[in-house]
Amino acid sequence: MKVVITSTIVAVILALTFSLPALAQENGTITITMTGLNEISISLDKTQWPLGDVASNTEYETSPPIEWCTLTVEGNCNVNTFIVGEDAKWIDNPSAYKWTLSNDGTNGEHIYGLWFRISGDTTRGPLGDGYVPITKTESEFWPYTGGSGSSLTPGDTKQFGLRLLTPTYFISSRQMQTQITISAVVA
Amino acid sequence: MIGRIKLAGLIAALLVIFFPSLTLAQDINFSVSPAEVKIDNLSPGGAAEFELTIHNKNEVAHVFTFTTFQPPEEETREGRAEFPNASWISFFPQEIEVAAKSEANVTVSVAIPQEQKWAGQDWETWLGVAAESSDLLGVKLYVRLLVSTNPAMETRSNAGLFAGIAVAIVLLGYGGYYYFRRKARPG
Repeated sequence: MKVVITSTIVAVILALTFSLPALAQENGTITITMTGLNEISISLDKTQWPLGDVASNTEYETSPPIEWCTLTVEGNCNVNTFIVGEDAKWIDNPSAYKWTLSNDGTNGEHIYGLWFRISGDTTRGPLGDGYVPITKTESEFWPYTGGSGSSLTPGDTKQFGLRLLTPTYFISSRQMQTQITISAVVA
Repeated sequence: MIGRIKLAGLIAALLVIFFPSLTLAQDINFSVSPAEVKIDNLSPGGAAEFELTIHNKNEVAHVFTFTTFQPPEEETREGRAEFPNASWISFFPQEIEVAAKSEANVTVSVAIPQEQKWAGQDWETWLGVAAESSDLLGVKLYVRLLVSTNPAMETRSNAGLFAGIAVAIVLLGYGGYYYFRRKARPG
């Protein structure tokens, strides 16, 4: 009996010797580094573009065309910015009718195009006129690949305008609504 | 063909016309801090929590929603791979209303499944904070989330446990065998 008790105690001690350090590691220190006082913020001085009635296969530009809205970096960190669009939906029944946002700024039946142009950008974009298509994939707003610009710093501003190319054919008398999202991440 | 497009919210447009004092409220201005969160030494099977602070700088209350976004590789920090599964990240609450000129916190939880393949990894994903709006232009702010998991922690932990259990079984078996053998010995 004595042997059983002794061996049991030894077994438990040995088991604990092996396993406790390992178990202790499960509670190892997790380091969470919150990059201090960094606050990210951008602001837009305009968020609406009420167009009213529009014709098919027609281009509409904000007024002024390229200095319509001002993006300002408000936080205390440098940022890279992006832009993304979405399909335009019929307000009364969003699931019943939409205009699909094209992936290259062109239009088609029930397909519309959106473009942006940043003030000072005269050669950017597929046509080399400064206008860049807005698509459903988040893409660079500023800075951009191939451009000489760098990340925006606190206090920096960027003025830009929009262009809408309506579908070649759409169902009339329906109010459509869409959203363009401008996003920012710490550089 | 003439159609109607409401790209920016007709009601809001009327407010701009008839109630100029309300136009300020249509601007988008909020901030999120911190702009970057780094979690180190997170073990597979473990979880970490931190808070994001949303500061609504507008004159009206806004509802803020939270999402995760996997950025393209060229936008991530060097050496960071794609975060494997967005469902490992949760927000509490999932949306929050922040009063005008006020701040509120959202708790973010990151939980890594207990699988060896997730040990020793360096990941990046972005946490998106957006103000709900029906305006044409919206703003989303991203917080960079960098997660590094504990290298091979689980291997050591399991090895220790298994070694301890194995030693215990061997010793108990030996003790039991020795005891019964002695007991069975005559006289």
